[in-house]
Amino acid sequence: MTQVTTRPPEVRPVSDRRTWRPVAGAVVVLAGALLPWASVVLPAGAYPDLATLQFFDAPYLVTGFRLHLVLLGLAAALLPRARRSVGIGVLIIALVHTGFLIGYGALSIGGPVALVGGALVVWSGRALPAPELKLPGRAVAWLALLAAFAALLWLVTQTLTAGGQSRATNSYGAAEFLAFCGFGLALIGSLSAYGILTWLAALTERHRLFAFTVMLACALMLPLTEAGTGYWMTVAATIGIYAATATGLNIVVGLAGLLDLGYVAFLGLGAFTAANLAHTLPFPLAALAGAAAAGVFGVVVGAPTLRVRGDYLAIVTLAFGEIFFRAAQNNIGGLTGGANSIPGIPQITMFGQDFNEPLGALPAGFLYYVVAVLMVAGAVAVLLNLKSSRMGRAWRAIKEDEDVARAMGVRTGRAKILAFLVGAMLAGLAGAVFAHKMGTVGYESFDFSESVTLLAAVVLGGMGTVPGAIVGASLLFVLPEKLREFSDYRLMLFGLALILIMRFRPQGLVSS
Amino acid sequence: MTLTAERVSMAFGGLVALDDVTLTVPDRRIVGLIGPNGAGKTTLFNCLTGLYAPTGGRVLLDGRPLAADPAEAMGNGVSRTFQNIRLFPGMSALDNVLVGRHTRIRQGLLSALLHGPGFRRSEAAAIERARTELAFVGLRPEGGTPARSLPYGDQRRLEIARALAGDPAVLMLDEPTAGMNGQETTAMRTLIGAIRDRGIAVVVIEHDTKFIFSLCDHVHVLVRGRMLADGPPGTVRADPRVIEAYLGTT
Repeated sequence: MTQVTTRPPEVRPVSDRRTWRPVAGAVVVLAGALLPWASVVLPAGAYPDLATLQFFDAPYLVTGFRLHLVLLGLAAALLPRARRSVGIGVLIIALVHTGFLIGYGALSIGGPVALVGGALVVWSGRALPAPELKLPGRAVAWLALLAAFAALLWLVTQTLTAGGQSRATNSYGAAEFLAFCGFGLALIGSLSAYGILTWLAALTERHRLFAFTVMLACALMLPLTEAGTGYWMTVAATIGIYAATATGLNIVVGLAGLLDLGYVAFLGLGAFTAANLAHTLPFPLAALAGAAAAGVFGVVVGAPTLRVRGDYLAIVTLAFGEIFFRAAQNNIGGLTGGANSIPGIPQITMFGQDFNEPLGALPAGFLYYVVAVLMVAGAVAVLLNLKSSRMGRAWRAIKEDEDVARAMGVRTGRAKILAFLVGAMLAGLAGAVFAHKMGTVGYESFDFSESVTLLAAVVLGGMGTVPGAIVGASLLFVLPEKLREFSDYRLMLFGLALILIMRFRPQGLVSS
Repeated sequence: MTLTAERVSMAFGGLVALDDVTLTVPDRRIVGLIGPNGAGKTTLFNCLTGLYAPTGGRVLLDGRPLAADPAEAMGNGVSRTFQNIRLFPGMSALDNVLVGRHTRIRQGLLSALLHGPGFRRSEAAAIERARTELAFVGLRPEGGTPARSLPYGDQRRLEIARALAGDPAVLMLDEPTAGMNGQETTAMRTLIGAIRDRGIAVVVIEHDTKFIFSLCDHVHVLVRGRMLADGPPGTVRADPRVIEAYLGTT
């Protein structure tokens, strides 16, 4: 028997003349990484990662962002598909550090060289369609998922701790953090260019329960990493609260397509309800009450908005958010404390353990982090399970074409109210945890910009996708924490980021 | 099951789109509805499927009045397709068909949240049925492709599969062969015959008179909102009023 094999035609580079560019780019990037970046030792201390002339003392010690540049330079030489993302990563790292060093008046040769190298690499990179990878058997798939989530945990830890805690301890923190974001972006872009992200997503889809368990386990292991200090636990728990809220909003906006500009009011309703009940009810009951109160208002808002769509709906929800904000500001019914806010909300205490105290060797705030992780997991489970059900399909149908959904027998009014109800309840629950964790709840936490930020998180991350809202929420609530010196420009930077995303990746960072 | 429009009138402000129109769809028959552009054919469809509440007359299903509510119509077994294809473009073909089955799926919210055994049974049955419908209209039963990526002809078929998934007694097709070539039109004729053979009455709006006269058991001619003539294809084709108003003399 003869075997006939058809071989695909040999793929040749489009033009051999162009091959010098990536090599040259990679060499220039490597040179840039190994050259000094800062010309003098600044008053605030030597620039991090031996970037000052001190690197001559130990040239073999390439650490931090310079190590990242070396890695990216090697990737640019060896991984042709990844060149574009790698080049963009190099550009971000170089731009950030160059910018900061110019600001300090201490720029040396390394930055400009790396910039040129990055530009060369981007110029040489071509967008190739990602290859399609075959799905392996169960054992390999599980191993791959384990490795992937472990890597994700590493990336999250590094991103969270990049640049240290605050400006007080590290005046170069913002630069280090932003540059690390560039490196992370290049990593993720490279994986995506080789089809690995799509492949992992398919694996996650196929081994859903396993993936979910591993992800949860990885999330709960964060306290055992570098990020396992009280400070980072608090930051991570806050992110978790907003991520759960954003997931709830994702049901309303991402699945059902109902643009809600006053969503943070539900977080506030949950928080104020729990705050008022905190001294009389144990936490689980107060949390349920918060969710229920928010849910009731979700229906109250949902019902009159059934007749308006799109922009008009957005305006009505905006008005609701504003009504809530003003009512809370004026201490309506004596329930919100007005300008004094509600202080002295007790910490969650269960089984004799105050949730803000360290548990054994684990850092303080660890338990709040666990609560936040479980809440996000619960919200994700709600989103996923509803998405693949009769109601989830009806929501998506309404988002795509409401009239036809009606013609197919979907009771659109009921479905929309249900979306508001579920979304509001998730936010209410998150609000209850928020109240206990913060110890104080005031109306300022629930103003319009918070609604916009939540909505931006959903849109930025990718509407209707699970990781989308979480990635978006994490980014939008980590960034202000990390970049305190830019806090005055926060909304402007969000706007800029949104415009860029809409221009270059309209489906969001994570597309379905 | 017999669907009847009984002396239905529909006015939009001063514009009378339908004037005293009566149409009966007998069980297991193919009924054609022809007429010039703007005659009110789609308006009649919208009245029959509950999208419009007629300003005069009644829509009856087996003698009982049908509320002007699309969900009600769908639940009672009247489903439709649209003149300009209106799928849910971002959803997969399978999900489109599953939305068409919406009224037949019984799932509580709590069971959907928990994905319990009852939910999984109901979901599996619905998917099974949706795949059957996809295969019935001649599409790939996996149905993983987003509706917007399907070729034109397949999109028309998908709309029909979606309408069939709702267990209709009467299926209303609004210009199912619009934009199709001869071969595709023949396939559509076969498909409509197969739908009738499943025991479903079919109402077809078409401009292709050859298609209508060779396919239908009964033909109605609507001109400027009035029912000009109706009867078996042979009678209608020979009717001088129909020739003058619509068919032409050539």
